[in-house]
Amino acid sequence: MNAIEVSHLRRVFKTYIGVIRRTAKEVVAVEDISFSIKDGELFGLLGPNGAGKTTTVKMLTTLLIPNSGTAIIHGFDVVKDAQEIRKRIGFIFGGERGLYWRLSGIDNLRYFASLYGVDPDVSKKRIAYLLELVGLNGRGNEKVGGYSRGMMQRLHVARTLLHDPEVLFLDEPTIGLDPVGAREFRQVILDLQSQNKTILLTTHYMFEADALCDRVAVIDRGRIVALDSPSGLKSQVRDMSVVEVELFGLPEDMLEGLRRLPFVDSLSVEDHDQRQTLMIQTARGAEAVPDVLTALGGLKIGRVVVREPTLEDAYVRLVGGHA
Amino acid sequence: MRRILNGFRLFWQGAILAYVALFHWLRPIQYAASKIVMPLAQMFFFVYLGTFATGADNASFYIIGNALQIAAVSGIYGVTMSIGGERDAGTLPYLFGTPANRMLIFLGRAFMNVMDGAVGVVIAFMWGVLLMGLDLSNTNMAALALTVFITTFSTCGLGLLLGSLALVTVNVMFINNLVYFLLLIFSGANIPMQNLPGWIQAISSALPLTRGIATARLLVGGASLSEVGPLLWGELGIGVMYSLLGYVLFTVFEIEAKRRGTLELV
Amino acid sequence: MNVRTLIKYWRTVLVVTEMTLRMNFMEPFVIFTVLIQPIVIALLGLWMLQGRGAEGAIFVVVGSGLTGLWSSLLFISGNSINIERWIGTLEFLVGLPTPFEVIVFGKNLANVLQSLGAMILGYLIAALFFGYSLTIEQPLLFALSVLFTVLGFVSFGLVIAPIFVMNPGVQGWQNAMEFPVYVLCGFLFPVALLPGWTTPISYLLPPYWAAVALHGTSTGGATFGQTLLAWGMLVLFSMVDLLIASRLFTLMLYKARADATLGLE
Repeated sequence: MNAIEVSHLRRVFKTYIGVIRRTAKEVVAVEDISFSIKDGELFGLLGPNGAGKTTTVKMLTTLLIPNSGTAIIHGFDVVKDAQEIRKRIGFIFGGERGLYWRLSGIDNLRYFASLYGVDPDVSKKRIAYLLELVGLNGRGNEKVGGYSRGMMQRLHVARTLLHDPEVLFLDEPTIGLDPVGAREFRQVILDLQSQNKTILLTTHYMFEADALCDRVAVIDRGRIVALDSPSGLKSQVRDMSVVEVELFGLPEDMLEGLRRLPFVDSLSVEDHDQRQTLMIQTARGAEAVPDVLTALGGLKIGRVVVREPTLEDAYVRLVGGHA
Repeated sequence: MRRILNGFRLFWQGAILAYVALFHWLRPIQYAASKIVMPLAQMFFFVYLGTFATGADNASFYIIGNALQIAAVSGIYGVTMSIGGERDAGTLPYLFGTPANRMLIFLGRAFMNVMDGAVGVVIAFMWGVLLMGLDLSNTNMAALALTVFITTFSTCGLGLLLGSLALVTVNVMFINNLVYFLLLIFSGANIPMQNLPGWIQAISSALPLTRGIATARLLVGGASLSEVGPLLWGELGIGVMYSLLGYVLFTVFEIEAKRRGTLELV
Repeated sequence: MNVRTLIKYWRTVLVVTEMTLRMNFMEPFVIFTVLIQPIVIALLGLWMLQGRGAEGAIFVVVGSGLTGLWSSLLFISGNSINIERWIGTLEFLVGLPTPFEVIVFGKNLANVLQSLGAMILGYLIAALFFGYSLTIEQPLLFALSVLFTVLGFVSFGLVIAPIFVMNPGVQGWQNAMEFPVYVLCGFLFPVALLPGWTTPISYLLPPYWAAVALHGTSTGGATFGQTLLAWGMLVLFSMVDLLIASRLFTLMLYKARADATLGLE
């Protein structure tokens, strides 16, 4: 049974340039997206910034109306049956906004519990339980304005679970959290899944999708470029090797030239202050090294390594080397 | 000579730039609403209320009082925001980091608002004549014009003080609104001074607008410039005093803020 | 719409009202608009209408309370939706199963109740500082008038808020809409003083009827028939407003979701 069915969703934004004479420009955020999510699945939507993840989530959570295409959640259409869907879903966009800073954590939860139509006796117990779940018990009476970012994120989670929704949408929930906080948060997500909730998680951290998700859809520039389990995605790069070259300043035109080399499947560059790491995926493995060095001409070169591909590399390959 | 020219240019450019920068959110329609419609609405309210209270013969008392009260819009909202707004916009550190003469910057801010305020008062008087039957036939118009300018200047002086205060307090708009409304009582725009308790009269005499409004009423009643001279000098003096106080506070603030490192107060 | 749902919505309204009141207490702009401005206007009125003694005093107290009600409606209720958008909570409020109108109803109710509290404060000031012995001539009818006024203002607010959201240009005229309503609705002086052609405009404004009812029952100057008419008009306007409001909200929410203006993109 599919909890969520997305079919050819498309969403375009109009922006205006100029102050006096405004010209309209259309930006396609989501080009054509289709996928389905099974009941109880932890599904990942992975992609670089601007790929269309948040836009997709907003369409599924009835906050944005698609320009075309349909989305069905538990049999209800996101546009026509918005009210029904809102009863059954919870969502987080994270960040510091979206909470009432002048109210305490508990008051924020009380407020939203009532707005979700939760019975008063139920809500009292549930609030206590949720504060414990997200690790905020003891801090519930402080004003939210004084919370740290991580605490606010956790309060968002508590808020979204108030009405015990069957489906959860978590949009980049660990962004802005310190590593320890993020790891604890991921554990919370896994706990939620064990309660048979269907979860759609968006992220641009490959390792996060790898660690948590049953299946991952890789999205780039408004389209899904791959949809598979993490291990399935990794197998796509099984036959590849990665040539890593340490450089000190790679000119843009040389980069383009490298891309066009026949044996280069895809490449990406990582910047570390003055150094750069060029990573070339190629089926030729170590044999490609001399050609690569030739192509790099008179540039100063540090280490050169040939290694097995990781999931990061699979991702890079899928999003065309411009993560 | 160059220094004088430079100073003048500083004053002038700063004034216009500041005016434009801080009011960039005002579009033509909103400007029209605030300069033309709002004063009219406020005047109608108080003039009708006033004639309801004390009879139609006293209409001009209320018309004149409220027309001059309009000066307070530029003086308070305009000037206070142009200083206090710097802090909200986060541009204070940059401003204070320049070697520019503080006094010129300070006065430059107020200058455009004086002009703007005077225009507002003139428009208000125009409404009074056109729509409410204000009779200016006995008035020394030049003296009235002078009164308008001086009164606008003195309310801007108050604005400068409030603006400097705004640099140390958090809520600019609250102070603005509060003073603006309190002036409706204290300025004598709507209540004859003698009807107010003694302590209020004492405070009123230390505030701008009080003498200006009294002067305008006398002028419309046919008084000559020499007769209202003392009042006008008094109003001017008040304006100067508040400007100086504001300037002192302004410099104190700058020194304190730099000493304590609180230039970008939240 | 069955009874159970109505009860649930009513509970929601009460919680929203409570939370809004608590958040508003700490908001300087609210304190000014709801409390300080009406008190200053009351003081002005009390001094200006000194000649009329106690009868003038109750008139001023009620009238200044009405100015507070209107300013509060215009600036606070009018902005209530936009404020949620700036804080970032609008998306969460729209994404709820509870209809958004119910939430805004609760916020408006809070604002109206606040203003009534300010009216009481004005009463106390007039009685204590000016020494007037203020009596409300027809207490029961006055209390009922207050109820109808609350209904009328809350409903009117439900129409204003979405208009301000969908048409930011209209919101630019907010400041210019404050005093004209004071004038046209006879808050502090009878509309008979105004030119005759403005009377139809006054009739079209719900606050006018609120003023008729409240002034009439507090000073005893209105016949029962006149009061009844005012109540009837308030109820009529409320029905019309609630009907228009529900259409406006549907339109506004659809538009916001289609144009992606729920959040601050």
